[in-house]
Amino acid sequence: MKKVIFTSLVFLLGLSNIMAQQKYTISGTIRDKKNGETMIGVTIYPQELTSIGTSCNAYGFYSLTLPEGSYHIIYTYFGYQPDTLTVQLNTNIKSDRYLSETSIVTSTVVISDTKEDDNLTNTNIGAEKLDIKEINKIPVIFGEKDILKTIQLLPGVKSAGEGNSGFFVRGGSADQNLILLDEAPVYNASHLLGFFSTFNSDALKDVVIIKGNSPAQYGGRLSSVLDVKMKEGNNQRYNVTGGVGLISSRLSIEGPIQKEKSSFILSGRRTYADVFLKATEDFKDNSLYFYDFNAKANYAINDRNRVFLSGYFGRDKLGFGDNFGIDWGNKTGTLRWNSIINPKIFSNTSILYSDYSYNIKVNSGGSVFNVNSEIKDWNLKQEFHFYPNSKNAIRFGFNTIYHNVIPGRFSGEEEETKNVGRYSWDNAVFVNNTMTISDRFNLDYGLRFSSFSILGGDTYNIYENGTLVDSLVLAEGKIGKTYYNIEPRLQFSYMLNAKSSIKGGYARNTQHLHLLSNSTSANPTDQWIGNTYNIKPEIADQMSIGYFRNFKENTYQFSIETYYKNMQNQVDYKDGADINTAPDIESELLYGIGRAYGVEFLIKKSTGKFTGWIGYTLSKTERKIDGINNNEWYNAKQDRTHDLSLVGMYELTSRWSLSALFVYNTGNAVTFPSGKYTIDGNTTFYYTERNGYRMPAYHRLDFGATYTKPHKRKYESSWNFSLYNVYGRENAYSITFANSESDPTKTVATQTSLFRWVPSITYNFKF
Amino acid sequence: MKKSIFFFGMLVSLFSSCTKEIDIDLNSSNPQLVIEGVVTDETGPYTVKLSKTINFSDDNNYPPVTGAFVMISDLTAGIADTLDEVLPGLYQTTALVGTEQHTYQLTVIAENKTYTARSTMPSKINLDSLRFNPLALPGVNDALAVIPMFTDPLQLGDNYRFVLTVNGEKDDSYILGNDNVANGEPNQRPLISRSIAIASGDTVSVNMRCLDLSTYTYFFTLSQIAGNGPGGGTTPSNPPSNITGENVLGYFAAFTTQTRTQIAP
Repeated sequence: MKKVIFTSLVFLLGLSNIMAQQKYTISGTIRDKKNGETMIGVTIYPQELTSIGTSCNAYGFYSLTLPEGSYHIIYTYFGYQPDTLTVQLNTNIKSDRYLSETSIVTSTVVISDTKEDDNLTNTNIGAEKLDIKEINKIPVIFGEKDILKTIQLLPGVKSAGEGNSGFFVRGGSADQNLILLDEAPVYNASHLLGFFSTFNSDALKDVVIIKGNSPAQYGGRLSSVLDVKMKEGNNQRYNVTGGVGLISSRLSIEGPIQKEKSSFILSGRRTYADVFLKATEDFKDNSLYFYDFNAKANYAINDRNRVFLSGYFGRDKLGFGDNFGIDWGNKTGTLRWNSIINPKIFSNTSILYSDYSYNIKVNSGGSVFNVNSEIKDWNLKQEFHFYPNSKNAIRFGFNTIYHNVIPGRFSGEEEETKNVGRYSWDNAVFVNNTMTISDRFNLDYGLRFSSFSILGGDTYNIYENGTLVDSLVLAEGKIGKTYYNIEPRLQFSYMLNAKSSIKGGYARNTQHLHLLSNSTSANPTDQWIGNTYNIKPEIADQMSIGYFRNFKENTYQFSIETYYKNMQNQVDYKDGADINTAPDIESELLYGIGRAYGVEFLIKKSTGKFTGWIGYTLSKTERKIDGINNNEWYNAKQDRTHDLSLVGMYELTSRWSLSALFVYNTGNAVTFPSGKYTIDGNTTFYYTERNGYRMPAYHRLDFGATYTKPHKRKYESSWNFSLYNVYGRENAYSITFANSESDPTKTVATQTSLFRWVPSITYNFKF
Repeated sequence: MKKSIFFFGMLVSLFSSCTKEIDIDLNSSNPQLVIEGVVTDETGPYTVKLSKTINFSDDNNYPPVTGAFVMISDLTAGIADTLDEVLPGLYQTTALVGTEQHTYQLTVIAENKTYTARSTMPSKINLDSLRFNPLALPGVNDALAVIPMFTDPLQLGDNYRFVLTVNGEKDDSYILGNDNVANGEPNQRPLISRSIAIASGDTVSVNMRCLDLSTYTYFFTLSQIAGNGPGGGTTPSNPPSNITGENVLGYFAAFTTQTRTQIAP
């Protein structure tokens, strides 16, 4: 039997050889010459056949199959000098390439390359890639550069507000974003109650955000995918990078394990606000800090196989003496194996671990109360990249996740009963093909088949219209209900002429884990919950179409995109829900639908002394939940009609660069009273409509300046100055209503705003 | 020392927030009837207050609803009591005696519309005493927290409301409790008020009320909305009322009540 399989395999392989007789494959890995980091998305094409081309994958691997002949293969990437390989192609060739960065001086003079118009030809609609180097120049609050704050400047991505690193994509809620760090999901991406994100940008290599139309290898969230990849570490020489800021410091060390073959990076960050607190008499018992730590190592087994191990660990602590303490944080781990099976097939296997937990401790005169919550994932992912010919790039694979969700419940000291939580099993298989149909028409299509099974070990209640109808004890090891979903994905680009193209797409996404939040802002204590017998998978269908045009030899990129998104099985708390002590949180939930639509404009200039972009979004986001707002449609909290961002960066001299940032958006939709009455002698407010009012419009201007000191041998350093909220706008953080303190016969509205003029200085170094 | 002040000053300026009164254009709304009806286990008379909602910009004078027919029936005992209007909008029982475990029904006919509500008075749970513990809050020294000492019965589903009075000043925050946690155990949870602090030597009164579920939910919702300060609170809504009828707000509650007063040590 074995022999038969073997022979037929040999036969099949032989056949494919015969069919590809006149074609040969050039493959290899592309790296940055300076530090040996593998590159992502480098364009590769033969000068002789410009309609054919490919780009390297997220691990630097490329494969290009061409008919026999002699070629000049061009490797180009924005901000790097193009590389040319001259080949006489009569056999399969393996060629690893090293690209060099263009210096600032040259980048202002020449760059005119036919493939600079990638933004027109690729099928990615609603996707933006962020350049980490660009992020460093944009002014930020407290001088702490932050990718989450930067993506919020893109059209279609909205900030959850000041002091909040949550974000909303195309009308989705904050939990509908899949945030991946080296493929491992991060469940809470904020530090210090949201003033900072969990990502230390010193340790990052690449950030991509996909606003809903993601290829089939991604799944599990409705709105977006934020794919963050950590640096691999310099495999040429040792480097130390760091920064000292007003409230935090960072340090990274990277270097080769074996020169040019394997490397490591360690990166840490800590705030020191608590050091100052300790120095004061009144606050010496209080604590308030966070730290995080990134580590990654890679090892080349041979030139076809490489393993990576990466991890993230971060924790926040907030405490008032012995009385009250809360700490929360994420842990993620990734073990990845990249294998070049043959010049046309690349395999990526990952084992991922992700953990988010929080713990609240209240101590009152010797009695202790605890709230603990945790979400733990074990995840196995297998992905193959198959490049059968120069027209197709196929990805296929599977993903299986074992979730354990322990909901946060209040427990007394006496009740030491360990809450084991609920288990579930999340599976998906996917296939996706990126296809060049003609030199004008590119198509990307795929299918994801996902399932979610409730696993035993807990009791599940079944509710009908809010009343308990059945209670189901699911034994350990038993599989309860399984939800199946088919998620088609389709995107295309069509070149109208050399300067403009049309792109369009449709995607269905499903979501099996839901974040329950009843507050007006994101809290670390918001709870995750999986699908149950009552909570069904959330489903979103998004259609989008866009027009893309480049001006002045691709110096200016313009795009206009429009989208319509329909959401099913949305979850919300009912009015007056008891979220901390209710015996079954599902008794406090309501379900409904949502819709979102809008237009996004982006004009971007990426070359020259002056760079930057203008992004504008006009949009509408609504929800309709049974039991809220008399079952009528209402504006979602994040519905903001206008959202404008202007970002500008200017290289003044080789030492000084300046930047400025302006944002304007319509205020959040909020619920304000339309009347008042008295209950128990207290003034009580009467509400007529959910989210029927608006917060005042938000706007702000920031300035930044960076001074780069001349290099002293290997020592590089720079000073970064920034001023947040230049004209001191008092943006409303919250508006509350109460009896006037000066005149109790009146009621007044009080606005609280957080920051006016926040200056900061950061010193960055590298050696 | 100077250094620490400097650093602290810097920190405060970094995190400082500012508040100011603002003018905001709020919609006007149609006046709604507000019913506040109470039966307790103390000696009567018990009262029902009828008033109307007003617009936000109006002065806090809530127009009473006069000339209404108001009746409370003890469904368990089969007794009905028609209330007298003693002051404009304030109606009083004449003979009704509030009894534990009895179910009461309120009927109001006002402006040609009928409203009804039911509430059951739970069994009384004894408030034994008050205990005081130190409470460390940021920037506040020597604050105390008061713990009402009582033992929750074994049966699940007990709901409490506590009204705190310090030196004669009534706390306006809603403090609620139930036995979802620590069912059947002696209470250890302190009462945390958002507006009143307790210091040594203060006269502290705690009024403990045992409520049925609908009354608990009503006041719990009010307590959640009240937390709408910096840091975010719950999206506000009208608390779910146990009164049926058109355009009506408020509650009808039958509860037990007991007060303990002690001087904080």
